[in-house]
Amino acid sequence: MRRAQRGDERAFTELMRMHQDIAFRVAYLVAGTEAEEAVQDGFLKAWRALWRFRTGAPFRPWLLRIVANEARNRRRAAGRRAALVLRAAGEGVSGDAASSPETAVLAAEDRARLLDALEQLPDDARLVLAYRYLLDLSEAETAAALGVRRGTVKSRTSRALERLREAYD
Amino acid sequence: MTDLERALRALDVDWPSTPDVRLELAPRRRGRLVVAVAFVAAVAAAFAVPQSRSAILDFFHLGGVSVEQVETLPPAQERPLAAGLGAVVEDAEATRVLGAAFLPRRHSTLYERDGFVSTVLRGPVLLSEFGSAYLIKKFATGTVEWVEVAPGVRGLWIAGAPHVVFFPDTSPRLAGNVLVWEQGGVTFRLEGTGLARQSALNLARELL
Repeated sequence: MRRAQRGDERAFTELMRMHQDIAFRVAYLVAGTEAEEAVQDGFLKAWRALWRFRTGAPFRPWLLRIVANEARNRRRAAGRRAALVLRAAGEGVSGDAASSPETAVLAAEDRARLLDALEQLPDDARLVLAYRYLLDLSEAETAAALGVRRGTVKSRTSRALERLREAYD
Repeated sequence: MTDLERALRALDVDWPSTPDVRLELAPRRRGRLVVAVAFVAAVAAAFAVPQSRSAILDFFHLGGVSVEQVETLPPAQERPLAAGLGAVVEDAEATRVLGAAFLPRRHSTLYERDGFVSTVLRGPVLLSEFGSAYLIKKFATGTVEWVEVAPGVRGLWIAGAPHVVFFPDTSPRLAGNVLVWEQGGVTFRLEGTGLARQSALNLARELL
């Protein structure tokens, strides 16, 4: 981190590689097929803004805020909602062998239905749930990615869970 | 945690594979021109196709300056042009900081702070030069345009409305009209509230 902040490009690239999966998924949920460009632009902005990053502060929320913002800009420019087709792992595989204890909570078709219900939610609700539960982001990270306060994440999450429950049941 | 939350958490989503990051960073010196040229090309292309402006024109980069268009201007202080310029330095120290001599050779008092060497010209107009330092400007309204400072020397003219400038380690402040250009690895910046475009260009040409 220090090396990256002093302008060491290799250190920065290394840092970005560590975070590229989560950054891409955060952007993908907002911008769909534009996610790759959003991540590229976001990382570039992060590089330029790195000197403003306060040493010792958590890095991931800071980075996710920049990338998510970039993704929103891309989507606004494209003028439409990202067409997402999230698939549950193992979906469509004949015989569905994925019956580990974690995935056994719901049967394959129920998982697909839940994911579908989630995708149908309005953006505010969909994103907060996807960030919190699919990507397992912390409240602070979710707040940063959504550009809202932590309190808003809390209230939005509980409202979104309500809506999802109604849609799913 | 409710059953629904547990079920959500247990959804094992088949994410599209992450494309590998291809970072084309703007190196502080080496290769910086290449990036600047790429941006110039992108902006030129955007001007040719007006409807794509909002997609690309939210970002300019020249030398050690990044200019971003934002929807709302971030909070910033109004401070006098000459406030917080740093410590007075001799020419030799300025040369060491910049990696090149401060231009013009004949100048009044030089100040240095975080890699920025500045002097106040008549007007008042603030002239700052920096070699490896970076600053970010944000504007919401007003104009940013590419200008030709001299043959082969591109500049950015930012005018029409105050913009916010972020220097390292100081709180952002509102800035007036600004001309930025780069030469020989040093970024030059002229700023003045009532600075007219032609006067800025004339001043810049005297320095080249």
